[in-house]
Amino acid sequence: MGILEEAFEENVLTTRVDWLLNWAKLNSIWPMTFGLACCAIEMMAVGAAHHDIDRFGAGAFRATPRQADLMIVAGTVNFKMGERVKRLYEQMPSPKYVIAMGACATGGGPYFKYGYTVMKGVDRIIPVDVYIAGCPPRPEALLEGLMTLQDKIRRTPVIRKPARLQPADLA
Amino acid sequence: MDFQAIADHLSVAKVPGLLSVELPRSPDKKIKDKGRSGLPYVCLDPSCIVEFLMFCRDDEALGFEVLVDLTASDPSSDDENLWILVQLLSVRHRHRLGIKCILPKSALSMPSSTKVYRAAQWHERECMEMYGVTFEDHPDPRNMLLPDDWVGYPMRKDYVFPKEYHGISCE
Repeated sequence: MGILEEAFEENVLTTRVDWLLNWAKLNSIWPMTFGLACCAIEMMAVGAAHHDIDRFGAGAFRATPRQADLMIVAGTVNFKMGERVKRLYEQMPSPKYVIAMGACATGGGPYFKYGYTVMKGVDRIIPVDVYIAGCPPRPEALLEGLMTLQDKIRRTPVIRKPARLQPADLA
Repeated sequence: MDFQAIADHLSVAKVPGLLSVELPRSPDKKIKDKGRSGLPYVCLDPSCIVEFLMFCRDDEALGFEVLVDLTASDPSSDDENLWILVQLLSVRHRHRLGIKCILPKSALSMPSSTKVYRAAQWHERECMEMYGVTFEDHPDPRNMLLPDDWVGYPMRKDYVFPKEYHGISCE
């Protein structure tokens, strides 16, 4: 890493704090145990041995929102459930991420026209980071969505950039 | 017993409320009429349903232990009647009976069957929220599927879809 490379003895690595924190964060995205419809079956398949979401450090499905970083909205959200989904999202500690999995969570899906109680997309109540298309999406698609989220976390600055020099500072 | 024997038994016993016995029409091949398919049923006066079901349950020869289904049906938005459809089953005697009550949409109210068959509770609650039928003396007349503050009866043919719910647009 730049001028500090090999400035110390062996076995000492130098890096940026941003990189280190993001590396830790994106390799331990713990999702919430939470499924609403048939997409949840695919989510379970991703958790099982064949696809194994644990390769990405996201295999620890937490049974409480207070220990979870990621909410995979896997299935149809109706208005009655939407209130609960919103409350669960609010109970999650920051930084928190949401994946809208499948057509229903993205935009109502097959219930768009005649589903009188179906919410036309979960992004009407909570902010969504990654949308996954499909009805339901293949397990590979969910893994792709997870990797997209990891890319997003990788690009996020953790330590604030120093404030820009203002004319008032010179006086 | 076959259906005809059940109907005869009911007529001989002079059960209150029995209006008519409806058999499936035999198909007329000349005019390509497929006939009314499905199960035969008896028409019933809705105000006598408790006595009728009590008789069906307690009579030795009939012995209907199970209430399989209780639901409603809206034949058309022009029709001024709503149908309440009941299915009874006897496991001992291996026969079943269809019952149809015709209720005018202007006065959607009938006695609750829950004192005879406790299984009717959830069926009646669903009828109440979906069709707007009132079951008198129902022990727990809350909504079962819809939110408590839902407006309208979604399974009616003249149902108008909501524009928004709690500020969330349904468009």
